[in-house]
Amino acid sequence: MAEDYPVVNLDTDAREAVELLASRRLPGLIVVDEKGKPHSVLPASQVVRFLVPSYVQDDPSLARVIDESLADQVADKLSGVTVRKLLPSEPLELPVVNHDDTVLEVAAIMARLRCPLVAVVKDKEIVGAITASRLLELVVAPH
Amino acid sequence: MTVVAVVVFVVAYVLIATEWTHKLLAALGGAAVLLALGVTDSEHAFYSPDTGIDWNVVFLLLGMMIIVGVLRRTGVFEYVAIWAAKRAKGSPLRVMILLTLITATASAFLDNVTTVLLIAPVTLLVCDRLGIDPVPFLIAEVMASNIGGAATLIGDPPNIIIASRSGLTFNDFLAHMTPLVVIELIVFTLVLPWLFKGSFTADPDRVDNVLRLNEREAIQDTRLLLKSGAVLLLVFTGFVGHAVFHVEPSVVALLGAGLLVLTSGVPTKDYMGSVEWQTLLFFAGLFIMVGALVKTGVISDLADQVGKATEGKPLLAVMLILTVSAVLSGIVDNIPYVATMSPVVLELAKNVSDPSHAQALWWALAAGADFGGNATAIGASANVVVIGIALRAGNPISFWDFTRKGVVITAITILVAAPYLWLRYFILS
Repeated sequence: MAEDYPVVNLDTDAREAVELLASRRLPGLIVVDEKGKPHSVLPASQVVRFLVPSYVQDDPSLARVIDESLADQVADKLSGVTVRKLLPSEPLELPVVNHDDTVLEVAAIMARLRCPLVAVVKDKEIVGAITASRLLELVVAPH
Repeated sequence: MTVVAVVVFVVAYVLIATEWTHKLLAALGGAAVLLALGVTDSEHAFYSPDTGIDWNVVFLLLGMMIIVGVLRRTGVFEYVAIWAAKRAKGSPLRVMILLTLITATASAFLDNVTTVLLIAPVTLLVCDRLGIDPVPFLIAEVMASNIGGAATLIGDPPNIIIASRSGLTFNDFLAHMTPLVVIELIVFTLVLPWLFKGSFTADPDRVDNVLRLNEREAIQDTRLLLKSGAVLLLVFTGFVGHAVFHVEPSVVALLGAGLLVLTSGVPTKDYMGSVEWQTLLFFAGLFIMVGALVKTGVISDLADQVGKATEGKPLLAVMLILTVSAVLSGIVDNIPYVATMSPVVLELAKNVSDPSHAQALWWALAAGADFGGNATAIGASANVVVIGIALRAGNPISFWDFTRKGVVITAITILVAAPYLWLRYFILS
């Protein structure tokens, strides 16, 4: 059930990674370390959280007082930043499944970690990924 | 029993001050030990404000927390702060002065933590738009909040404790503390350019970024704003009219909270979410521990010692309370400090024949404890909250960054308060 999936590493330029997410409408990206081993999953929602200034997260009513042209500048936060900076400061459990895991096992991992994407590994190497929509497609497919 | 009460109190106090355990655990644990060992009992702990929980304090805080929980949804605070920043025309010094004055004024009516939670995000927004470091602004605002909170009975929790123990009213605070706070704020404003020298340079091209903020968008529900304003007016009428209505501030706050909840239609989880249950329980535990010291006679012995040390001279006692309170409130949370000192001051005041001298003892405690909260990064809850907000925004404030400025401001505010107390209560009275 795994599909080919783009992978970025911790030192990939953040804007490059976000452009990848945006252009392919991906729910997240798989992040690997220097050795190519899976490090974490970067959900698109986490990128959105990074782009929203902390003061707007603390007081959402401030989002309304900022006009459109100023709001458009939020992407400036990505310049000179790598994927490492986009990840949450607290390390999260890596959403990873084995290539021979069942649909239910994959669903259980996604539900527990609230992650729209899991990396699929075989012999500790990434062989693809499963998105939530791919999983649902398999669940509702006629047997 | 006296020794047990003192030991339990000291151990709990050390735990609270050092934060080795959560302060709530220390306060409730201490109270539980005292109850379990029979040092105090349910009659003294729950039914006597002198030797147990002062429910007036607890319910006044609860009522005001609920009112603030609704009020903060109106967006009025954000409106005023952005409006002021625009009136400053992007001048960083003017922005700082206006925001600190707004913070100080709001702190007189809301609790300090709520005020800084409201002002800090707006400050970060304005500084972000201007491309300047927000740290000096945040430090100045939290200091203004600690000063402004001293102005009224409800501005700072220590004042609520003092009012309840002393019998001083909302109007007494307005007549005695507000003028002092106004003087302090004038001095504070004059000191700001020097204290934060080098923090006021902004790119003129970015000024337009502030002027383009639309403060009107902060207010989404005008009806909620009007209802909240009307209820707040009623509540303050109740506070000010205590002599006429004879209704305790705690009852006024609870009635106001109930009325606001009924008329605003704000969901229960929203206004109850703003109630700091841990703080209320912390107060309860603290009152039981201090009450045990009163019951066992420790407090009256301590008051005798202070009386002897000051040789029965009220002016000396006032200055001692002012200074010691400022120093200790910078080191430990001023709430447990004032909860402990209030019965001591009550005993001292009983032995002072001149009523204005007796009152000066209470104002010295309020001024020392409230202004002393500025001395260090951990001197007041609002300081800790602002430091946390700054860290999340990527602008960390170190303990020493804060304390270097805090010690200076505390020294200045105490140096202003001392002659005020001397002149007003010993020379002009």
